[in-house]
Amino acid sequence: MTASVRLNGRREPLPDGETVAGLLERLGLGARYALVERNGEPVERARYEEVRLEDGDRLVVARPVAGG
Amino acid sequence: MSLGTSDPLVIAGREFGSRLLTGTGKYDTFETMREALDASGSEVVTVAVRRIDLDAGDADITAFLPEHVLLLPNTSGCETADEAVRTARLARAGGLPDWVKLEVIPDPRYLLPDPVETLRAAEILVEDGFTVLPYVLPDPVLQKKLEEVGCATVMPLAAPIGSGRGLKLRDSIRIMVEQAEVPLVVDAGLGSPSHAAESMELGADAVLVNTAIARAADPVAMARAFRLGVEAGRAAFRAGMMEEGVHAVASSPLAGVVRGQ
Repeated sequence: MTASVRLNGRREPLPDGETVAGLLERLGLGARYALVERNGEPVERARYEEVRLEDGDRLVVARPVAGG
Repeated sequence: MSLGTSDPLVIAGREFGSRLLTGTGKYDTFETMREALDASGSEVVTVAVRRIDLDAGDADITAFLPEHVLLLPNTSGCETADEAVRTARLARAGGLPDWVKLEVIPDPRYLLPDPVETLRAAEILVEDGFTVLPYVLPDPVLQKKLEEVGCATVMPLAAPIGSGRGLKLRDSIRIMVEQAEVPLVVDAGLGSPSHAAESMELGADAVLVNTAIARAADPVAMARAFRLGVEAGRAAFRAGMMEEGVHAVASSPLAGVVRGQ
C-alpha cells in the first residue's frame, strides 16, 4: 500500500518525505499563489519548504480568484 | 486629491489616495480587468478564495493585478462565521494580506449578509490580528457593535449585490455616516457613477464597486467614469452642500425687471 494524501478530496500518491513545496511543484502549482490547509490547519507560506507530508494527510489547496 | 488639498482615505492607519475600492469579478478577460483597475485608480482590490481545480489549469489572476494595490481577500461563499474565519486564516497563511472583506451570506438567492454570524466572525478575526472590513445590511445598531469589536471599516450595501439599483436605504446610510467612528464604505448595489457620487455626497468615506464596472459595455471607460463620480461626490461633500428646500427661491433679483414704461 503506497502512501497517499487527499488533496481537495482526491487521492494523490505521496513520495517518501515530500514537502508541501514539493507537492505543489510536482502538481505544477509551484508558481501559483497556492494557499494550503493541512488537516484543518492553515500552513504558513514560509514553511512550505519544511513541512513534510504524511500518509493520510487531508490537504486543501486554494488560491485567489476573481471576486467582488 | 480633491480641492487641491490632501484628502486621503485612512483605514486602520494606512492611507489610500483613492476612495474607489474595486472588485475583480465578472470581467470577460483578465486583460480587460487589469486595464479597468488601472483606469479606476483604485488602491484596494478584492479577490475571492477558492479551491484549485487541478484539472482546469486556468490562468492565475495574481499575474494580472497591479503591484501597488492592496489585495483584499473576501470570504464570499462562506455561510457561517466558522467558514469565514477558516477562509481568512487560509488566505493569510498563504501570503495574502491580513486584511479581510468579511462576508457571511447564508442564502444564495437574496445574497443578504447574516448580521449575527458576521459579528461573531468579526470578533474572532479582530482578536486574531486581522484588519476586518465587514459587509453588512445598512443597520446603524450593528454598525456600532462592529465598531466596538474593533472592525476597521463598516461596509453597508446600497442594494442587493449585482442589482445596480443604487442607495435604497438612504436614510439608514445617512444615520451610519453621522455616527461613524471608522470609515464607512458603501459596498454593493451601486449601478452608476451618479450612485457612487450620491453616496460620497452623503458623506460615505469610500465606495466599493464591481459589477457596474465589469459588466459595462466598455469596462475601462466605466472605471474612469466611476473614478470621476467618486471624486465629484467627495469634493461636493467637502465643499458643503446647500440646504434642500420645498419651495422655489429665485436666483435673480425680483426688483427692477424691465417691464412697461
